[in-house]
Order: sequence, then C-alpha cells, then structure tokens
Amino acid sequence: MAIVAGIDIGNATTETALARVDGRKVTFLSTGIKATTGIKGTLQNIAGLRSSLGMALEKAGFRHDEYGAVDVIRLNQAAPVIGDVAMETVTETIVTESTMIGHNPSTPGGVGVGLGLTVAFEKLRDLPPEEAAIPIIEAKHDYELAASEIKDAISRGVRVTAAICQSDDGVLIANRLPCVIPIVDEVSAIDRVPLGMHCCVEVAPPGRVIELLANPYDIATLFGLSPEETKHIVPVARALVGNRSAVVIRTPLGEVKERRIPAGELYIIGPQGKRTVNVEDGADDIQKTILACYPVDNIFGQPGTNVGGMMERVRRTMSDLTEIPIADVYIRDLLAVDTLVPQKVVGGVAGEFSLESGVALAVMVKTEELPMQKLAAAISRELGVKVEVGGVEADMAIRGALTTPGTKPPIAILDLGAGSSDASFMKTDGSVALTHLAGAGNMVNTIIASELGFEDTELAEAIKRNPLCRVESAFHIRQEDGTVRFFSEPLDPSAYGRVSLLHDGDILQPLMLPHINVERVRATRRKAKQEVFVKNAIRALEQVAPSNNIRLVDYVVLVGGSAKDFEIANMITDALARYGIVAGRGNIRSTEGPRNAVATGLVLSSVANGS
Amino acid sequence: MQINPELLEKIVAEVLAEMSGGSSGSSVATAAPEDVAGVKLSETGKAVRGTDPKEVVLAISPAFATTFKKTITDIPLADVLRQVFAGVEEEGLHVRVIRVYHTADVAFMSHLGARLSGSGIGIGILSRGTTIIHQRDLNPLSNLELFPQAPVIDLPAFRAIGKNAAKYAKGESPTPVPTKNDPMARPRYQGLAALLHNKEASFIDRSKAPQELSVTFE
Repeated sequence: MAIVAGIDIGNATTETALARVDGRKVTFLSTGIKATTGIKGTLQNIAGLRSSLGMALEKAGFRHDEYGAVDVIRLNQAAPVIGDVAMETVTETIVTESTMIGHNPSTPGGVGVGLGLTVAFEKLRDLPPEEAAIPIIEAKHDYELAASEIKDAISRGVRVTAAICQSDDGVLIANRLPCVIPIVDEVSAIDRVPLGMHCCVEVAPPGRVIELLANPYDIATLFGLSPEETKHIVPVARALVGNRSAVVIRTPLGEVKERRIPAGELYIIGPQGKRTVNVEDGADDIQKTILACYPVDNIFGQPGTNVGGMMERVRRTMSDLTEIPIADVYIRDLLAVDTLVPQKVVGGVAGEFSLESGVALAVMVKTEELPMQKLAAAISRELGVKVEVGGVEADMAIRGALTTPGTKPPIAILDLGAGSSDASFMKTDGSVALTHLAGAGNMVNTIIASELGFEDTELAEAIKRNPLCRVESAFHIRQEDGTVRFFSEPLDPSAYGRVSLLHDGDILQPLMLPHINVERVRATRRKAKQEVFVKNAIRALEQVAPSNNIRLVDYVVLVGGSAKDFEIANMITDALARYGIVAGRGNIRSTEGPRNAVATGLVLSSVANGS
Repeated sequence: MQINPELLEKIVAEVLAEMSGGSSGSSVATAAPEDVAGVKLSETGKAVRGTDPKEVVLAISPAFATTFKKTITDIPLADVLRQVFAGVEEEGLHVRVIRVYHTADVAFMSHLGARLSGSGIGIGILSRGTTIIHQRDLNPLSNLELFPQAPVIDLPAFRAIGKNAAKYAKGESPTPVPTKNDPMARPRYQGLAALLHNKEASFIDRSKAPQELSVTFE
C-alpha cells in the first residue's frame, strides 16, 4: 500500500491528485489546485507545487506540510510549449486640414442641417446681414453669452444656420435660441477648425443617425462638387456613417484617408520550402498559408517590423528558459484572428475614434524537452519524497479523461488551457497522436481588451469568465439574457446603472469603461471565444483524427481550465455536433469536472507500470 | 506647518462675526433671507414628492445663498447653482430646488432630495461646497457619488456633477466625476470648515419642513 500524488504543473495552475494505491486498487483521497508559480518547467514552480500538494494533504486529513505521508510524487513530462500573444493594428484613419468632425457627442443641440461659412464667434457681430454663418464658439464664451450673441445676429438678419462649440453646451445654447439650428459640441481642438470655409453641420433627431453627410451625393449637392471631387469625398462620408451628428468642412486639400500600416511579413517554413504572407492581408490569408505549410518547421517575422520583433521576443523567452541557443528555438504554430481596434483618428479635431482593423497573433514554441528531471531532483531534495517523472502529458490526459463516465477509446481530448490548445487522439489499440496549437485563453483576453479599448489583463480575464448584467435599480439587475433578478438587500451603489460582471456569490463588479453596453461586451466576448477556441478545436481535431478526417472521431472530451468556462464548452459541443461528434466537458473521476485529468492520469499510470 | 495669513484672517473674521451676532443664530432663519448676487431664491411652500421622471432634486442647506454667499474657496454660490443647473439641462432634464431646514448633514439632505425626486436622483450641496449625488433606494449613508473635499470642487466639477446626476436619472451609466485629492486640504481648511459647519448648524430648525424654492438667475 502506498500514497501516490500525481502533480500536473500547467501554464496557469498546478493540480494534485492524491490516492492510496493498494496492489491494482486505486482509491482517490483528495485533489488540490493552486496557481502555478513561475513559468512551467522551472525551479520557481516548487512554491506552487508545495501549496497545491498541501491543499490535497489537508483535505485528506493530513497536516498541510506532512509531505512525508506521500510515498511517491509523479510529475508530468510537461509539454514544452509556451505561447505568446500580440496585437497589430493594420489600418489607420488620417484626416487632413480638419475636413470633418465625426465624433459623437452624447448631447448635440437642436436638430437639422445647416450650411454656411465658418466664422469666429467674436466676428459674429461684425457680419453683414444676409450672410449665412456658422459661428465657432470657444470654451471661454459662456453659453448665455453665446446664445444672446447668436440671437442678436439673427435679429440683425444674419442667417446663423448652425454652430460648433468647444464645451458641452449644445443643448444649453439650443434651448435659448428662438429658432432650431443644429449645434455640434465637445469639439476639443476647436482652434484647428478652419475659418472662412464652406461648412455643413448636421444633427439627427434622437435615436436616428445622420443621412445627408453620410451620403457622397448629398455632400456633392451641398457643396456643388464635380464628379472627380465627389470621388474624393467618399472616405469622409464613410467615416461619418452611424453618427448622430457631424460636420464637414470644404477645404482646398482636405481629405480623409485610410492608410494601411506596414505590419511586416511572415515567413513560414514548411516541408515544401518557404512561403511568405503579409500580416495586413488579414487572418484568413495567414491561416491558409500556415495550413499549406503543415507541418510547420519554423516561422520568422520580417526583421525590423513589429511582427519580426514579436517573433524574436518569443524565441528569446524560450531560449532564456530552457538554455537552448536562440537559433534552435522553433515556432511551430501561429493563430491569427481579425479584430477591430478603436484607435484615435490622426488629425481629428474632437478626439474622434474610429474602429481600425487589426490582427491578433498567438504563437507557440516547442523545444525538445523542458528540464523536468532537474525540477524533479530539486523537489525530491526539498520535500524529502521520491519523485518520478511520468509519461507524456497528452497520454496522461487521455488516461485521466477516460475516467469520465460514458467514454471509451477511440477517443479524442481537447485540452484547452491558457497558453495553448492541445489535442490528442487514442485509437482502440492504445496508440496516441497528439498536437499542440497556438491560441487559447490568453489570446481571448488580448482580443477582449483590445476590442473594448483597455489594457488591464485582469479585467479582460474577469470579462471572459463571468456573465454580464446591468444594474437597473438599487434592488434589481437585468442579466445578459434579458431576465430580471431582484435582491432584498440594496446592491453596491458603485454598480448603480452600470454594466457589471456577475461573479459567483452574486458579487457585482461594475465595468468603468466608456461607451459600452451589455450587448457590445457580450458580442465581443463570444466572438473572441468562437474565433479562438472553436477554430482551434476544429484545427486540432483535423490534425489528430485518423487520416485527418474529423468525422472519424466519435468522442471528444474537453478538459483544462478553459473547458470550465461557462460557454466555451457549449460553443464547441455545438460546432462539433455538425460533424456527428459527441463532444462535451469532461467529468474526471465523475467528480472533478474538466480539471485534474493529467494528475489523475499520472496516478493511474503508476499502477499500469506495475510500480 | 506653514500658516497662510489670508486664511488665518478669514478664520478670525468668521469667529468675530459669530461672536458679535451670537444670539442671532436661530432668529436669522425666521428673518427674511437676503439674496446673494446673481440668483433669486424664493420659497413657494412645503416641498412635496415629485412625479416628473425628468427632474433631479437639488437639496441645499439652511443658509445656502442667504447668509452664506460663497463656498469655502470663495466660489459664489450663485455660480455653483448655475453650473449644476446647466449640467442637468444639457442632458435634457431639469432641476427642482428644495431647502432643507432640519439638518445640515449632506448625506441626509441629498437622500431626502432623492426621495422627493420624481426620478429618484437627488443632489445635496452644503454652503461650503461639500456635495453628494444620491438615489432614493440607497441607505442615507451610502451614495452614488461623494465629493467630500469641498476645497477641491471647482465650477467645472459642479457642472459635471449636474451632468452625471441627470445621466443617472436617465438610467445611463456615467463615468464618475473625476475627483481631485489634495492631501493639504485637510490641514489647511479643517479649522475653517469646522467654523463654517458650526455657523451653518446654527441655522438648523428642527421643526421646519423642507421648502420648495423657485430659482431665478439674474
């Protein structure tokens, strides 16, 4: 009789399975799970391992530091895989000569369309009657003064057709005028608005979007443009689509351009030689090229570009970690996902943002082996327990996964982690095929953060893991599926009226992000998960399935941290059902859910080995 | 600690004024209040609960804009009112003002305002500038946004407070007004704030119900 601890050191968590082994009989006592300390395969892991094992010991009725009770610790031969994620923006919008103001102030004043010459507010009183004018009002002028000056000018016969102001005074001025004119406010860099130019201001009624300034022919009508000039105005009109208010100013050389930023080229080396793909061509082209080069030998980025820098950074991290020369580190896979990134418009006068296209890239590096033996020796020294390095991780994961009720070989498992997505397939005869793919939980975080325009990775992680709601009063919330829940105690006032995350135990975390709503955050979150996990699930199964035919797989068990997610497993089940595959979240030993597969497999394999 | 002679002078002046008018405390409340320049406030009767979802109720303290004319940093109270009004109006709502007599505690003032407000949102402002945005379902000592340091609240902040209160009333989720924090505000202003509070508290009339005010800017 012996006490065996199977310990799986993963990218994100260190999991322990503690069991009593009696001949061929295995009785599981407890499990432990703690965050991995340091990068896996390094000596820094020992702290996390201690606390994970301690947790399992305590649950099994030992003291948490009673390591002597364990007869043997079995470690996984960790897959020597690390991933890295980066974002590249590939387009930018540039406005020259302040041709347009396309921001969306929350409260523009008045409604309608006004056409006239831009004029400094101070010059309004000197204007001759009958002139069509659009005053440019700086923040130093109070709204009462602005309104009374405009009123005076109108009574003298000047046709004030619209107004542009710097502070948030649009409604205030509009409320004080005898007639309704469109007023665009919150134009922060108002000093850059050219004076004495033909200008058109449009404000749509609440709940609607502008129609004239988003239509090139209407702009041509308003300014009397030639067919050639109309061609040039198309990007302006396009940039204004969907806004509630807009200003277009006709300047001699002004235009709006969408520029493609040279993000660099990727060189993919496969069995048939080198292929080149440009990052700005987007995710689909990159993914096609990768597929054409399978199995990939190595991937390089064009030197001196952002992509080149990213590839080198990954190589250096891996080389520092494993003490393998940098030239011998190979990037074996890459996943690209198209994203939309809010970026400040270059040359904009009101701090406008436009949604630019970007590409998120995840890469996976594989070396021969992580220095697990070194780690095992160190653990043995520190804890005074015999340490064995068990079999290959994928092998162990399958053994563990097969403890899920309702499974039998041939079976495929998808291990969805934080750094990589791994798949393995076991045939009836017990032989195993496996693959590691780039792109997993961390990539979802990166996409969520960049699409919603923030940088905090913990916030991205929280958004990924928790459903959303909107706090509608101090006592009720509306959840993302539209249902309402009431509470008997007042909710946290900081969440009042806000889009919030609903953590376990009904804890609300308000999202302090500008211009968000439940629908947008939800769509972003779900799209990121679809693009990364569903795409990778199919990609991975295609590689491990017999003769690369995904339909020949019958059972797929999802394991790993990301399989625990509240919607990823469902998305994959749904996508794989189309191929006639039974796919679902694993339930290791009928109790552990999708966690602890490798640790369980490590314990079980000790029996199989006859130790 | 560095002593600011101006501030010291101000404190001395406050104390002297208090001593000379020592007995006037409770009587002022009944005397016809004199208006401060720029705004005319007149009582129109007992404040009642509103039903208009477009209103934000602004609760002001017993001697706001009568005996007190400026905040702790000498911002005229007429301008404070004007900016709060502007902030609310820009969002398409309007302000109803009540004067609270029974307390000079800004938490209870603003909560009362919220309870009387048709939208459920109230603002409370003390004469020295301390401000709270409140919601009627919350506990009085809780709040939506609290601006405890009167010396760092300037006119743009009062505009933003009005704007945010209106946005809460519309059911939007505004970003909280960025508050400044001045670690020296406490040592510099604590003495003056205590005096101003005592003075304000002397106008409390526990038996008088909150009054509706009509506000005209001049």
